[in-house]
Amino acid sequence: MTTRHLSARAVRALRRPGAARHLRDRGPALRTNRPRRVLALLRRVSVGLETVVEPEVAAWTVLVAFTAGEGLGLNRAFLLLTEGDQLRGWFGVGPRTREEARELWAELKLRDVRPLEHLTQPDPTTVEAERERHAHLLAALSHPLVKSCSSWRRAFIGRPNHPNPCVRHWAARLDSRELVVVPLMSAEMPWGVVLADNFVTHAPIYNGTLEAAETLAHYLRAAMERAQLLRRLQEEKRRRMTAEHATTLLETARALAHDLKNPLALAGGLARELLSAPPEDRETATRQLALAAHSIQRAEQRVAELVDRLASQADHVSLAPVEVGELAERVVDSFRPLAASRGVRTLCYHPSRPVVAAAASSSLERCLENLLSNALEALGPAGGDLQVAVKEEPAWVRIEVADNGPALPAALRADPFAGGISTRRGGTGIGLASVRTLAEAMGGRVEYDEREPGWVRFTVMLRRWS
Amino acid sequence: MKRPSLLFVDDEEGFLELYRAAFGREGFAVETAASIDAARDRLAAAEIDVVVLDIRLGETSGLALLREIKASPKPLPVVLSTAFARYQDDFSSWLADAYVVKSSDLSELRRAVQRCVGSAK
Repeated sequence: MTTRHLSARAVRALRRPGAARHLRDRGPALRTNRPRRVLALLRRVSVGLETVVEPEVAAWTVLVAFTAGEGLGLNRAFLLLTEGDQLRGWFGVGPRTREEARELWAELKLRDVRPLEHLTQPDPTTVEAERERHAHLLAALSHPLVKSCSSWRRAFIGRPNHPNPCVRHWAARLDSRELVVVPLMSAEMPWGVVLADNFVTHAPIYNGTLEAAETLAHYLRAAMERAQLLRRLQEEKRRRMTAEHATTLLETARALAHDLKNPLALAGGLARELLSAPPEDRETATRQLALAAHSIQRAEQRVAELVDRLASQADHVSLAPVEVGELAERVVDSFRPLAASRGVRTLCYHPSRPVVAAAASSSLERCLENLLSNALEALGPAGGDLQVAVKEEPAWVRIEVADNGPALPAALRADPFAGGISTRRGGTGIGLASVRTLAEAMGGRVEYDEREPGWVRFTVMLRRWS
Repeated sequence: MKRPSLLFVDDEEGFLELYRAAFGREGFAVETAASIDAARDRLAAAEIDVVVLDIRLGETSGLALLREIKASPKPLPVVLSTAFARYQDDFSSWLADAYVVKSSDLSELRRAVQRCVGSAK
């Protein structure tokens, strides 16, 4: 979808020689009702943005307001966003060439399309098509950030001879004599830039238009940041759901291993025993046969139950609020006798108030047991200190297990949780890999550091329960 | 000569029956316990040479008993025997002298027990 900025009379006028001059002359007349019109435009755009959840739709909404005839009336507009050290073309609205402008505006006139009326009901297909239509030009607008961009504060008119190379690049790529440049700054560098021009009509751009453009661009930034945040939250929710399903699968696999393998191993073991050394008394043989038969029947029942449980857990979440301080204390307590026998002093710190994480209690216990075992083995017969600390962050709960044993071998420091190699100081390393698997299945992550001289620290991070 | 004494700890009576039959026939003195508390009692009352320990004992974990045994002044050899192959991935099991995944074929368990009996002498 594209826009127009002209009335039918203006479209006709555009096709006449000297059209641009004619339109420039109309500038003051257009400004007569400007305050009221601009206020109505801002209100309409803000209403349109209220329900926007897609960054692309937010960009489309505001850039349409830049270019619509009932809006700011500019010929075309573009949004560039900062990515690393580049300003990259991200979205565009309006015709790409003068010929296209004449065709599109005439068509819009013919079909009596008023773009602003569609702001509150954006069509995602149209939005995507508009982005695709400008893909080539957007790529051409991309330019490395330069130091002088950090001095930008307010919207301005850029011209082909502008001192900033970014502006010169954009003016050249757009073949623009006057270019509206609206910088959106963050930490002294552009978060993004909105560009707009009147490349067809060459209509002058007044201060009022510039101010309104600046306001609209700020609306755009707020809407995009909100939309991006929502998108991240949705992605996080999806990730969490996946982790929860992984935990469910893990628990089901454990149940399957135990509940099926146990009776089958028992039945098979009894059968082998009966074959290899039949009991002399009939009573013992009968009892053992009955045990074997009962085990097989139990296995059959468990298969049926597990199928039912899998079906019911397909959309079931298994993470629950777990008071981490209490759990850590309990696990550390269970290690104290063993640690003491090896000359290891154990300490467990946690806030006095409850620290609640989203976790599976048994998985978190396993993580801690593995980290404590790892630390005990690392400390070895010489003993030492082992400290467990539970800490709170705004979104996370940290469970740190630190020991003052030998450092990890240099080759293993990059990723001690990788598994499959001997990352455990003297062991198989699978235990640390297991910690990562379990932590990630709970939507968390693991860290390792030796920031504090003489201490090796492994950390499990879990999301706070909210 | 004293027969080697084994303590099997498993919450399933069927396995305890199987172990009594299989290992009793091979000349071991077989003690059994169906819970951690019962195992503690047997350890206190009888002279045990090797403990064969299931990890999942009802709602409790045999790994706690493993740590207790290994933290005691005279730690005994312990064979972990469980249906959970994944426990091999856990550090808590590294204290054990052997790890056997439960199977209808007891030969691996027999070998592990023999090794531990040999090391306990």
